[in-house]
Amino acid sequence: MKSPEELAKERLARIEAAVNLEEPDRVPFSGVGGDVIAAYAGITQEEFCFDYDKAKEAIVKFNRDFPCDWTFAAGFVGVGVPPFTYAFADDPDVSATVGMAMFGTIHDIIGDTCTRYPGREIERNCSPQFIGGKFMEPEEYDDLIEDPVKFIAETIIPRICRNMNTPRKAMAAMIRLGMEAEKIKNFAIEVGKELAQLGYPAIPITLGYTPLDLIGDGLRDELNLILDLRRYPDKVKKACEALVEPILKAGLALKPLGVKYAFIPLHLNEYLSPELYNEFYWPYLKEVILGFAKEGIKSFVFFEGRHDAHLETILELPKGWGIAYFEKTDVRKAKEILKGHTCVMGGVPISLIVGGTPEKIDAYVKELLDEVKPGGGYILATSVGIAPRETPVENIKALIEAVEKYGKY
Amino acid sequence: MVSNAKELAEKRLARLMAAMNLEEPDKVPLAGVGGDIVPAYSGLSMYEYCYDSEKALKAMENFLKDFPCDWPFAASVSGLDGRVFNVAFSEFPDISINLTFITGPMHDVLGDKYYRYPGREISEDSSPQFIGGSFMEADEYDKLIEDPVKFIAETVLPRACRNLETPRKAMATMVRLGTEISKFNAMMMQTVGLMQELGYPAMALGGAYAPLDLIGDFLRGVENLLLDIRRYPDKVKAATEALVEPIMNYALAHKNIGATLAFIPLHLNEYLSPKLYKEFYWPTLKEVIVRLVNEGFKVMVFFEGRHDAHLETILELPKGWGVAYFEKTDVVKAKEVLKGHTCVMGGIPMGLIVGGTPAQIDEYVKNLLEKVKPGGGFILAPGVGTAPRETPVENIKALIEAVEKYG
Amino acid sequence: MLDEILKSIVEMEEEEAIKKAKEYLDGGGDPQKLLEVCRDAMGEVGARFEKGEYFLSELILGGEIFKQIMEFTLPKIKGESVKKIGKIVLGTVKEDVHNIGKDIFKVFAEASGFEVIDIGIDTPEEKFVEAVKEHKPDIVGMSCLITAGVTSMKKTVDKLKEAGLRDSVKIIIGGGRVDESVKEFTGADAWADDAAKGVRLCKQLIGVEG
Ligand code: B12
Repeated sequence: MKSPEELAKERLARIEAAVNLEEPDRVPFSGVGGDVIAAYAGITQEEFCFDYDKAKEAIVKFNRDFPCDWTFAAGFVGVGVPPFTYAFADDPDVSATVGMAMFGTIHDIIGDTCTRYPGREIERNCSPQFIGGKFMEPEEYDDLIEDPVKFIAETIIPRICRNMNTPRKAMAAMIRLGMEAEKIKNFAIEVGKELAQLGYPAIPITLGYTPLDLIGDGLRDELNLILDLRRYPDKVKKACEALVEPILKAGLALKPLGVKYAFIPLHLNEYLSPELYNEFYWPYLKEVILGFAKEGIKSFVFFEGRHDAHLETILELPKGWGIAYFEKTDVRKAKEILKGHTCVMGGVPISLIVGGTPEKIDAYVKELLDEVKPGGGYILATSVGIAPRETPVENIKALIEAVEKYGKY
Repeated sequence: MVSNAKELAEKRLARLMAAMNLEEPDKVPLAGVGGDIVPAYSGLSMYEYCYDSEKALKAMENFLKDFPCDWPFAASVSGLDGRVFNVAFSEFPDISINLTFITGPMHDVLGDKYYRYPGREISEDSSPQFIGGSFMEADEYDKLIEDPVKFIAETVLPRACRNLETPRKAMATMVRLGTEISKFNAMMMQTVGLMQELGYPAMALGGAYAPLDLIGDFLRGVENLLLDIRRYPDKVKAATEALVEPIMNYALAHKNIGATLAFIPLHLNEYLSPKLYKEFYWPTLKEVIVRLVNEGFKVMVFFEGRHDAHLETILELPKGWGVAYFEKTDVVKAKEVLKGHTCVMGGIPMGLIVGGTPAQIDEYVKNLLEKVKPGGGFILAPGVGTAPRETPVENIKALIEAVEKYG
Repeated sequence: MLDEILKSIVEMEEEEAIKKAKEYLDGGGDPQKLLEVCRDAMGEVGARFEKGEYFLSELILGGEIFKQIMEFTLPKIKGESVKKIGKIVLGTVKEDVHNIGKDIFKVFAEASGFEVIDIGIDTPEEKFVEAVKEHKPDIVGMSCLITAGVTSMKKTVDKLKEAGLRDSVKIIIGGGRVDESVKEFTGADAWADDAAKGVRLCKQLIGVEG
């Protein structure tokens, strides 16, 4: 029986070997998370999002019963308001506080209109939703470009948050947020402690954003932005350029906590032709990734949707820059292209875990690993970390066992 | 031990409550000293006491263990009066009650010009200071009268606090303030735990303020206000009236934390002639007190300085309204006037504790108690709770023993 | 002229396309013909998308141009002469709020002659059932972008069965989270994770030439 410390060390070594493009003792496995955590603990999504103790217990229980190497996917409890942290980019301590505050309690405090929470806007047992919205007009690109932090803080946030639409309400909301943030911090510390006892390594993560996605998710809404690309291309580009710095500043605010990775989920990548991608998306994403790299932080990019058309651009990054996590892109093909350059993550469609059988999962993982295991530099994960309530637990078990069976080097 | 502590706490509480209810307890209750002596006793600088909550808590523990009393009212955490913030956030009860004391870290966060803290604007060994200032012009009374909360929150505070100057700075500052409040509350919880362990009654303290003091301390500055009273009497009066409501909102918010005693320190009372006192100060203060009493609170008013000239006005309050704590007013005389109507507190000049000898203290307490003890309704306390660093500890001991002997 | 309009739409020249379409109609052009040209253009955009030459941004922009031209063209066409090849009840399934994919599919389906009744996002199973009862469509289309929606789709199909409506409609599912295994799991008739293919399949389902 290994001690928790030994186990954690082993798991961390496994992940780090893969990230460093080496062969670990076994293919590291990043576990699932999402609605199934609350469901497995028998609590509602509302409890999961608003009750720190229950959420903690649920997370710990799930990770105890479904061991993995990396609990990354189980680390998200709520959904946040994308521009929020960037309103505080010039105040790193505050943006660090605010950045961690993705919880239902914060939604209640700021009254934002771009997320919906169980037991509030939606049923008790629905998972929290980010719905976005349009909070900026095209005429305002100039304001955004001139001083993005000021514009977000003073113009956008009051529009998004019902409880911040007057100066006084905003001050009150921020005090409450600060008070609540202390609780969230304690929650995170407690969860961390218990996971450490289960032999999980602490892998603190910060967040990054692609400038274009920040505009799409948080300011203009995706659809409007797609049209803006044609209508106001220069402004959009300038706005992306202006957002790089605040994105880096807010992301680096967590550096003092010993953060080694910056998680960057991509949204508009799939929408764009290589031409548009290379013009509006990639240059700024690349700047963000390189900016983190300069500070010793590796990027952990989640390429949502199909990234096939843009795969080659990844090779422009320095070797060993970080982790490329793919959703619908075929990881076999990705591994082929990125071998020896980029650690590849993903591979198991979540639909297989939801709708498949243990036998199918076993067979799938065997075949997959045959192809992508050799040479290392690979982390196995489901295509999306969010497993729905109804996910059969025997399928999760089957996945864990299959990695154990076929993952050894 | 635990049950002992509990019994002790109950006994002490009963003693205090009896006095407040104008009865004779088993012994005259003693409200202990506090202040700079608390950190000094544990060898802490004022800076450490104000900024290091763990050390501060430990110092409090040391002090309260060695110098027991019935009510360690003055020995708690050091923070300075922040009533302007209470009023600014009076629409938000959960926030408002948390700003009665502005601690060192909160002061740093706000960047305000009201206070000076050890290790910041003043030396590490000075005790924190309230300096106030003028953050409102005389021609702005109308705005204050029209919407005092809006005016204070949106106009005065950005002037008084460097870190609230722009909306953006204010947002960041408020987040930091919130985390400091959270930390402060956590420390208060620990303090309560400590008190319980040491056998002290846990009394949640509420608060209110005299409207005129709010204007003098936080908006206009005392000197300007004294001139305003002559120059714009009607506006000043109207402003005090306008402030009653927000002050009440703040005061009543303490119901949620189960407070039954509201503390009001007075500042301008000594400055005013009975005529001005009755015209500008007392009416709205009285309204605040009476409304609190009607809501089931007892009120404890700290009459700073000499209140002799206005003593009789206290009788206008309903009998048993609360505690009149006097600083320099002669308590023997006060007891005489207020007997059977108001619980009187005070009696020990701080000068005696700092500069006297144990024998003198013994003698003094003996004489005093002979006069004020009969009939109950009296709480013995130093005229100001805050004892300086140099206070000889044997004098504090002597005080405690004297009460034991003659109380 | 019509050729130029077609080319402008396909090449994503938003202002050009709209300007020329207006000119065409102002000069007495036939709105019915314009409609057909626009449809052809959308067909070409879809085809390029299927070939991987175009991406979602082009689908969205194409849809936007199409919608804008239709705004001033459709009122000029007499009601009866806008022929519909079939009717689709379309919605994003329960617990899912993504609407972009559904909306793109809708524009393309409309552009190729379907009447589409859009019942929104986060659509409860019952609402699908009611809509089928009310509108008697040929096809029910469900859009699903999140994994939780997979079970919602299955439940919707089951509810349609319970209501005895399953056999009166064809069911097609679409959106980023569907594939063959999801189709089997839910009991739908077809699946597509691209709008152009989806429209082609819809035509097949009701026996119209693609
Ligand atoms: C944009 C986006 C959003 C936007 C949506 C804006 C909007 N108004 O729709 C916003 C930011 C609001 C959003 C919110 C959320 N999102 Co989202 N989002 C995306 C993203 C990046 C793109 C989706 C999209 O619009 N694609 C473009 C469209 C055009 O593609 P499409 O839907 O596949 O549609 C095409 C075809 O499928 C077809 N089609 C579509 N519908 C139909 C229907 C029929 C009948 C037919 C025939 C064809 C058809 O036509 C379209 C054109 O070809 C995806 C990642 C990805 N790349 O898929 C994540 C993604 C879908 N989101 C995800 C998540 C988790 C969420 C949130 C839950 C996040 C959160 N925690 O709050 C919330 C949603 C809450 C909820 N319960 O629904 C996950 C889902 C994971 C999962 N498997 O469950 C994804 C996959 C991201 C990820 N990898 O984690 N999201």
